[in-house]
Amino acid sequence: MPIIELKEVSKTYKTGEIETRALNRIELIVEDGEFTALVGPSGSGKTTLLQLMGCLDKPDSGEVRLAGRDVTRINANSRADLRRGKIGFIFQFFALVPVLSAYENVELPLLLNNVKSKERKRRVMELLEAVGMTDRTRHRPDQLSGGEQQRVAIARALASQPLIVLADEPTANLDTDNGARAMEIMQNLNRETGTAFIFATHDPRVISYARRVIELVDGMVVDNGVGVGKEMLH
Amino acid sequence: MAIYKFFVLAFRDLWRNRRRTILTLVAVSLGLALVIVMNGYVSGVVDGVLRNSIEFQTGHLQVRSNSYEEEKLSLLSRDLLDNPGPLASKINGMTRVEDASPVLWSSGVLSTILETTGIRVTGIDPNSSIHNPFRNGMVAGEFLTGDDRGGILIGARLAESLGIGVGQKVSLVVASSGERPKEGIFTIRGMFATGIPSYDDNTVLMSLTQAQAVSDTGERASAIVIMLEDQDEAGSVAAALKQPGISTLTWKDLNSVLLESVASGLGFYYLMYGIVILVVAVIIANTLLMAVFERIREMGIFAALGMKNRQVLLLFELEASILAFIGISIGIMLGSAVVLYLAAVGIPVGDIGASAGDLALGTTLYTKFVPGNILYLSAWTFLIILLVSLYPASFASRLEPVKALHAV
Repeated sequence: MPIIELKEVSKTYKTGEIETRALNRIELIVEDGEFTALVGPSGSGKTTLLQLMGCLDKPDSGEVRLAGRDVTRINANSRADLRRGKIGFIFQFFALVPVLSAYENVELPLLLNNVKSKERKRRVMELLEAVGMTDRTRHRPDQLSGGEQQRVAIARALASQPLIVLADEPTANLDTDNGARAMEIMQNLNRETGTAFIFATHDPRVISYARRVIELVDGMVVDNGVGVGKEMLH
Repeated sequence: MAIYKFFVLAFRDLWRNRRRTILTLVAVSLGLALVIVMNGYVSGVVDGVLRNSIEFQTGHLQVRSNSYEEEKLSLLSRDLLDNPGPLASKINGMTRVEDASPVLWSSGVLSTILETTGIRVTGIDPNSSIHNPFRNGMVAGEFLTGDDRGGILIGARLAESLGIGVGQKVSLVVASSGERPKEGIFTIRGMFATGIPSYDDNTVLMSLTQAQAVSDTGERASAIVIMLEDQDEAGSVAAALKQPGISTLTWKDLNSVLLESVASGLGFYYLMYGIVILVVAVIIANTLLMAVFERIREMGIFAALGMKNRQVLLLFELEASILAFIGISIGIMLGSAVVLYLAAVGIPVGDIGASAGDLALGTTLYTKFVPGNILYLSAWTFLIILLVSLYPASFASRLEPVKALHAV
């Protein structure tokens, strides 16, 4: 079943008097359980596409559907509700709340969804175990390495059992080993939970993990899924 | 999300910039402390002046002839109470009355070899407890006795300025009911110091019988001064004393000029309080606004996680509340400590009372600790802080997630 459908989606940004067309009549379908890389040079529209998929922004034209529901023109509060319950995010800069511990960062989406205390605790520990962070639960972000922070971010993205996780350059600030570890964790969680992952990247080593690769150039999809990612390396 | 979790987040966020938070708390606490001290000062001065006026001059109630006007100090028989003794005794028998005593007021001139000065002569019953404030303020000599003829009491400041002392004789010309004032030679029995220049500089006390004799008023009195067990009963006691031919004035009536002045003066002080509180609130709002700008990207993260606008608003309002609560608590302790200290020790102001006209302003002013006022001011401070903080809070809540996430 399609998790995300984009039909004729366009988005233009205006900075002063300069207009930049970030996306140009995009047509795209993401199925349940996909592990997909979104590739393209800087300025190709990867981040904008992720933002529209994640209901962080609205397209200027076209239609966006999430799990069959048209979310193109819904209001800000409704978009917040969707993000809270159905969408997870992983950012390049980890994006953990600095004053919360690793445990509390993962717990935050569950609190926003009013999950009861016992269930919250179970879920948080389950996720922290999945990302290998059970011995660092009380540490705050400034006490964690970059790789550890990103693992906590991955756990947080899955806390509310979303339909899809959107990751924008998730390994950009990680060294090779940590980047590989992060991708392996996401891959495992994708298999175990069935949650779809879409990650924007231009790192060939990251692309190799993907089962599908979507290529964007100048705001247009030039390749809607090349197949096995390793082919892209060559 | 449980509100206490927001509270935890808000509390921790405040300490991300410890120095800024501490400086903000200092500003809040000092601002409120200042307002509390101002209020304590004003309350104390007003209370003191009113209390002095009641204790030394007006009493809680006065019974007078309908036509009597104190400013004129009339000695005409139609303006005085005729044979006030029985009425005073009757009033003394009432349950809520502490004491009631007739007094006679007139004007006079006190002369020595060196100097002459205008004074106010008050004829009193020396045995009445109503004049205990003067009795307790004696600094030399003895208080008057009931049948004293020829003795007077004067203020120590007056005596010092005239270069006279206990036992000395002075010439006193007193207004009378006749065509001409009457002169007599009186002996200074004692000197009093009330701490109120307007009394200590201008008042001469003599026995009522002496005053009546000197002013040719027979057995008449200007008024019966009444002290009650509870000044709030003045209205009901006044109503009980109503009868034709006499007026019964409460302490509010007798101090109406003072009370009106206080009312209009308080308006100015409320404005001052408002300005100080507003400045404090703006400081907190500015602190929060700086925090918002520093945490714009974090607002984007919250938005990505699905936090609603009103929850972001709540978060910043909670930060404002915590700052306000801690600052106000410290301010209350600090302000109250100063007020309590000055209430005990007082603020020496010297002769300012001498230039205060008829205001019974002493040489030392005392603040007054009024918990109700402190709570009232604190509540308003808290409320105004929350209102002013709505600006940075709503600014944070209306940030667009995409722009916030890409903020540097």
